[in-house]
Amino acid sequence: MQRTTRNLVLLIAVDLAFHLWSTFGPFLVWPGPYHWSVTPTNSAINLSLGLLWVAVLGITYVRDPGGRMWKLLLLSDIAAGTWALGYLDSPWGATLAELFGPLEAAILLHLVLGFPSGLLRDRLDRGLMAIVYTIVLPIQLLGLMTLDGDWNTLLVFPNDDLNFLLGRFGLLSPVLAVIAAIEVIRHWRDASPVMRRVLAPVAFGMPLVFLVLGAWWAAPALDRDDIRVFMLQNKIFDVPAYLTPILFLLGTLRTRMARGAIAELAMELGRGIPLGGLRDALARTLRDPTLQLAFAAPTGGGLVDSDGQPFQAPADRRATRLEREGELLAVIVHDPGLEREDSRFVEAVGSVARLALENERLQAQVRAQLEEVRASRQRIVEAGDAERRRVERDLHDGAQQRLVALAMRLDAARGTTIEARALIDAATAELGVAISEVRQLARGLHPTILTEAGLKAAIEALAERTPVPVEVEADAARYPATVEATAYFVVAEALTNVARYAAASHATVRVAAEGGALAIEVRDDGRGGADPGRGSGLRGLSDRVAAIGGTLEVDSPPGAGTVLRAHLPLEAVAT
Amino acid sequence: MTRIVLADDAVLLREALAAGLRAGGFEVVGQAADVDGLLRLVEAESPDVVVVDVRMPPTHTTEGLEAARAIRARHPGMAILVLSQYVETRYAVDLIRDDPAGIGYLLKDRVTRLDDLADAVRRVAAGGSVIDPEVVARLLGRPRRHSPLDELTSREREILALMAEGRSNQGIADRLVLELKTVEGHVRQVFSKLDLEPSSEDHRRVLAVLTFLKPE
Repeated sequence: MQRTTRNLVLLIAVDLAFHLWSTFGPFLVWPGPYHWSVTPTNSAINLSLGLLWVAVLGITYVRDPGGRMWKLLLLSDIAAGTWALGYLDSPWGATLAELFGPLEAAILLHLVLGFPSGLLRDRLDRGLMAIVYTIVLPIQLLGLMTLDGDWNTLLVFPNDDLNFLLGRFGLLSPVLAVIAAIEVIRHWRDASPVMRRVLAPVAFGMPLVFLVLGAWWAAPALDRDDIRVFMLQNKIFDVPAYLTPILFLLGTLRTRMARGAIAELAMELGRGIPLGGLRDALARTLRDPTLQLAFAAPTGGGLVDSDGQPFQAPADRRATRLEREGELLAVIVHDPGLEREDSRFVEAVGSVARLALENERLQAQVRAQLEEVRASRQRIVEAGDAERRRVERDLHDGAQQRLVALAMRLDAARGTTIEARALIDAATAELGVAISEVRQLARGLHPTILTEAGLKAAIEALAERTPVPVEVEADAARYPATVEATAYFVVAEALTNVARYAAASHATVRVAAEGGALAIEVRDDGRGGADPGRGSGLRGLSDRVAAIGGTLEVDSPPGAGTVLRAHLPLEAVAT
Repeated sequence: MTRIVLADDAVLLREALAAGLRAGGFEVVGQAADVDGLLRLVEAESPDVVVVDVRMPPTHTTEGLEAARAIRARHPGMAILVLSQYVETRYAVDLIRDDPAGIGYLLKDRVTRLDDLADAVRRVAAGGSVIDPEVVARLLGRPRRHSPLDELTSREREILALMAEGRSNQGIADRLVLELKTVEGHVRQVFSKLDLEPSSEDHRRVLAVLTFLKPE
């Protein structure tokens, strides 16, 4: 902290020194009459603008001391200082001013394209800067080496033609300026909402600056010095100088405001947030309403969301991984614009939310495990159902058919002798019992009518078989097979109990879809007092119901009948 | 001789049925293992009676019922006897609801008595209706809170059940060893108590009784 402060003071002092030099240097060193632009008023204005730049530098350094932005700013101010060397009564001064002066504009372009981190975003930007730096450094150097003039200490071989040709590169400047103007607006358009706020001043102010600068640079290459004169006389030349530091200061201050949101987040987390509210809090802080949170899955190495459901980050989103001691804590999936502009911001937000994230991660993992267990239970139920159907089919196609065929053959063999007839009759009767038993067994495994005609028909068939009058209220709608089978077995078990224990004179079965669930009610007017834990029938059923995410309850006060209610979710959870 | 086409995907049972029917004095002119084969045979042979299992490939649910409907749509007079492994009153009632003449629904257990099978085939061939006694018993035995059925005497219930099976007055008189006149008196009594329109045609009568027993 102390060190940062000391560096900050030092940095500001150095930068201020360069600005003072740029402003007052000419007065100190120029022996002759001042250039017409060097007046006390202009100097005062220049110094004020310089102070704005110093402020930008200071804020930028505090915000991101490891970043590139403040270095570029300082470099730009140093380059600007070389202009003043031109006032030294020395050929070297004039030469250095010519050589390094244009660098200021190049760095400015770099600053604008890289704002606010100083890093260039894509190949187009990097290509643009490569061209610009080539023009202001090697080509400028080559130009000086061929430019005839007694002040030019770098002159190696005077060559007017080559020098003229090199000067033509200045024609590129307006083109580059237009491209840069388009680029900053494009950056703004691609940015996340929070970064748009930061980028807005630069994105919308700098294109104007570029146009002015472009015209200024293009003038000598076009042999139109009158343009420069016009721009100077009408103060147009001053626009970039005034506007640029103001735009940068505005943008930089907005960055700080975005960072202030971290403090707010910290306070919000300190107050405690409701479960699942963490995502919303992070989305607010990062001003990215599309933000998502994901955590390491308990098994398999994948990701799960807060509800424990498997999560896959969309390809067009950026994922910032937050780790603790090498272990993945969470992944913040956000607008790719956020990281391109300022990855440290996302990380900083993640650090502040670390404890809350850890908590949410544990919750998500527990939910994921729960979800796995639930899904596996449902799969077991479904596998069981499939197995029952298969066994029923096997019985129907196999044993049942054989027994019936056998009975027919036996019947055909009747009537030879009285003795044989008696034997065959006995065998046929025995066989009839066997056929009936196999039929009941097969039907209990899985009634075909349920698959074919649905729950209502199957329950009505159950009601017909119940020795107590049963009223069925249901509609003919079809539901997922597992839900239908579960509902059927619930009703079958309930009616069996009514017939066996309830001593009821009447029962009602109601089945209706209510708000995404199938509601089943079996009510009788019997003696009540049923113990839900009695027998394995109901307990097995309640396991089965729970396996598909449903509930089963039995209300059976002594003497007041029994009501069994089941709720089976229809959106039976992905399998 | 009554010509029969037979459809059941279980070969063993189908062969046993064919043998039983032949022994009963019928001519089995074709056997099919699935619905397509059955429909082709029906077109080729124009049988008097079609005997078909409810459950056949590919879904093993109610292909036989649908085949029966399809055949009746093309050949309105053709007699059809549907065999079922399980008693589903719904299937039986649905089957005869459209046109009960020459339609039968028999439980497979029943066909083990070849006499019963032959009787059922003869009755549907003659344009009558056959409903398995087990279906009727289930419909009649279905517990009700208050019903005009409570008004019937046990003899009248017996006669109602036989009507529901599709039997004629003469058939009922034979079965119960009663005078035809006595049976007719009981039938009138039943219709009056149940508030049903009396019908002289036997299969219309079946429909009225079954609809009363299982209203939709």
